Amino acid sequence: MKASIQVVLCKCCTEMPALLDMAKLEKLASDAPMVMSVVTVDAACDGKDLARITSEAKDKEVDRAVVLACHKKDISPALLKAYKRAGVNEFMVELANIREEVVLPHLNEPERAQKKAEAKLRAALNRVTMLEPLEKSMEPMGTKNVVVIGAGVSGQAAAHAAAKSGAHTILLEKSGKSLKAPGVILTHSQVIGGKGYGGNFTLKIKAGEKIEDLDCAAIVIATGGGWTQLKGPLAKAVKDAIPLYKLNELLQAGSVPKGPIVVVDTPDPAGKTLKVQDFAWDETLEIVIELKKRSPETQVFVVFQEMRAFGLSELAYKEAAELGVTFVRYDKSGTPKVDPKMPSKLAVKDSSQGEVLNLSFGTLVFASIPANPDNMAIAEALKIPMSVDGGVRRGSVQRWPVSTPRPGVFVCGSALFPKSREVAKVEGEAAGTMAGEFAAKGAIEFGGSIAEVTSEKCSACLTCVRTCPYEAPFIGTASKAEIRKQLCQGCGMCVGICPSKAIELHHYTDDQIMEEARTLLGGDF
Amino acid sequence: MAERKPKIVGFCCERHGMDAAVLSARTGKQFDASVRLVQVPCTGRVDGMHLLKALEDGADAVFVLGCLEKNCYYDTGSIEGRKRVNYVKSMLEEAGVEKERVEMFNAASTNAWAFPDIVSKMVDVARKLGPIGGGEMQ
Repeated sequence: MKASIQVVLCKCCTEMPALLDMAKLEKLASDAPMVMSVVTVDAACDGKDLARITSEAKDKEVDRAVVLACHKKDISPALLKAYKRAGVNEFMVELANIREEVVLPHLNEPERAQKKAEAKLRAALNRVTMLEPLEKSMEPMGTKNVVVIGAGVSGQAAAHAAAKSGAHTILLEKSGKSLKAPGVILTHSQVIGGKGYGGNFTLKIKAGEKIEDLDCAAIVIATGGGWTQLKGPLAKAVKDAIPLYKLNELLQAGSVPKGPIVVVDTPDPAGKTLKVQDFAWDETLEIVIELKKRSPETQVFVVFQEMRAFGLSELAYKEAAELGVTFVRYDKSGTPKVDPKMPSKLAVKDSSQGEVLNLSFGTLVFASIPANPDNMAIAEALKIPMSVDGGVRRGSVQRWPVSTPRPGVFVCGSALFPKSREVAKVEGEAAGTMAGEFAAKGAIEFGGSIAEVTSEKCSACLTCVRTCPYEAPFIGTASKAEIRKQLCQGCGMCVGICPSKAIELHHYTDDQIMEEARTLLGGDF
Repeated sequence: MAERKPKIVGFCCERHGMDAAVLSARTGKQFDASVRLVQVPCTGRVDGMHLLKALEDGADAVFVLGCLEKNCYYDTGSIEGRKRVNYVKSMLEEAGVEKERVEMFNAASTNAWAFPDIVSKMVDVARKLGPIGGGEMQ
C-alpha cells in the first residue's frame, strides 16, 4: 500500500523533552517506512506551529498523519481543521496521547516512559496505515419547527426560549386551558406516533378529533407530573385528599382547609415510586410556611422519607420548624397507613423515635406528583428510553442534563422526575434553547465513523436491531440488516455483538483495534 | 533469566473511561507504566475476540473501562461491555486460564482516583498469577 505519513512530535512546551529523549523518537519516526516528514513543534495547539505543520504537509503531499501530543479532545478540533486545509482527511489523522498516558503518570520512571512512548509511536504508525478516509454528509432540515409537548411551567419556558433562536414553536397541550406563548398553540392535542430522526421528525398528532402529521426539527418533552389523585392502599381509606398545588390554590384564594393538615411526600407511599426526588421540597416548605403564617393555630405535619431542601431552602426548613410545623420521618418499614374504619387517622412509624404515631387529620395533602402516565405513549412514539419511575430518561447527566439519548429530542421539568416550579422553569429554558439551536442549524451532519453492514455475511438474526439504543439498524428490503446513517452515533455496540461479524465500524475496525493492542504489547517496558 | 515486567492492556471508552484516565494523570497521580491503553468509541464495541487476542499476544491481564452503567454516554454501552467481559471470563474458565485476568470497570470522567486503583489492581493480578502458562515475573 502506498501512503505518505507526516509525524508531528509536540513538545507540549517543555513537558515532553523533560522526560523523553525527543531525538530518539524523531529518529524512530523518520526510520519508519512511508514517513515523509517529521516535524517537532513547541505546541501543536499554537497557531504558528499549526501553520508550520500544514505548510509542511502540503509540501510533502502527505495523505495521513500521526500526532504525538495530548488528550484527543483538547487538541483535535483545531488540528483537524488545519489538516483539512492541507488536504488531509480528518479520519486519517491518528492522535497518540503521550502527555497524559506516558509523561505525566510516569515522572519517576524516565526509561520505561521512553520505551512506552516509542511503543505508542509504533502503534500509531501501524494504525495510521490501516485508516481509511471517511466523509461526513449533510442533510438539510425540512422545517424550523420545534414541537413542545405540554404547556405547563417548563413547556412554556421552553417555547419562549426556543422562539428566541428563531425557531417556529408549536405548543401541544392536552387540556383546553388558554395560555400565552409564542408560535402556534394547539389545545386538546396529543402525540400518538412519530418517525424520523433529529432534524427531520414527522409526528402524528391528534388535535381534537383530527389526526394530523406534523413535521418538525426538534422536540421538547415537557409533559410534567402525572397523578392528581391518591393511589394504592391510602386511596381506599381517604377519599378527599388533595395534591399540593390544590392546597396552594386554596391558600391563594384566601381559604385554609380544615386542620390538622398532614402533608405526605408521595401519593402512594407503599408503591414502587418511592423516590427521594418525588417530593417537591421547596414547594412543600414554601406552602407550609405560608399556611402557618395565615393560620398559626392549624396543626401541620409533614410526613416524609427524606428531606432534600437544596441550598437556601435549608433556611425554609428551619423557618417552618420554628413556626411549629412537625416533621415526621419514616422509612420503608413503617410507611404511612390509614385504617379504613378510622379514615381520619394516619398511622406512621417515626424512624427517629421508632414509635408509631397516630396523627388525626382534617385534610390529607400529598406533595409530590409522580411522572406522567402519558410519558409511556410519547416514549414509544419517539423511541426514547424511560426511567424506572415512569419518567423520561435523560442522557448522560453531566453532559446532557436536558437531552434524551436521541439527538433532537429534549426533555425538561417534571417529565424527568417531580421538581419545583423554579427548577422546572430553568430546565424548560435550557431545553428550549437547546432545541432552538438544534433547529437553527438548518442541516444535520451525519456519517464518518459509523457502522456498515456487509450484507453477504448478514443472517438477519435481529441482534443488532435489538441492541442498538438509537434504533439505527433495521431489516431492509433484501431481508438483510441495514444501518440508517442519520441515526447511527458510531458507538459500535452492534459491531461487537454481531454473531456473524457482518457489521463493521469505520475508523474502529477489528483489525485496527487488535493491531494497536498487538503493537503496544510488542514494546518491552 | 531476564526479569519480565507485567503487561496489561486496557480498553478504554472514548467518553468517561479515557477521560477518567486523563484526569488522573492531570491531577498528578502516578500509576504503573505497564498499562497500555487502547481507545474504543464505547465499551460495547469491545469484542470478546479483542480481549482474547490481547491475551494471546502476550498480555498478562486485560481490563475494560467504561462509563458508569446508569450514566453511559451511549445509554447501554457499558452494560453491553460487561456482558462481553463476563462471556470471555466463562470462556477462559473453560480453557483453564484464570478468569481474574480479564476484568470490567466503570468510572466517571470526574473520578481522578479510580484509574490508578484499577491499574494497581490489575498489576497485582498479573504479578500474582504470572504469565499465562507459568513462568517468573518481577
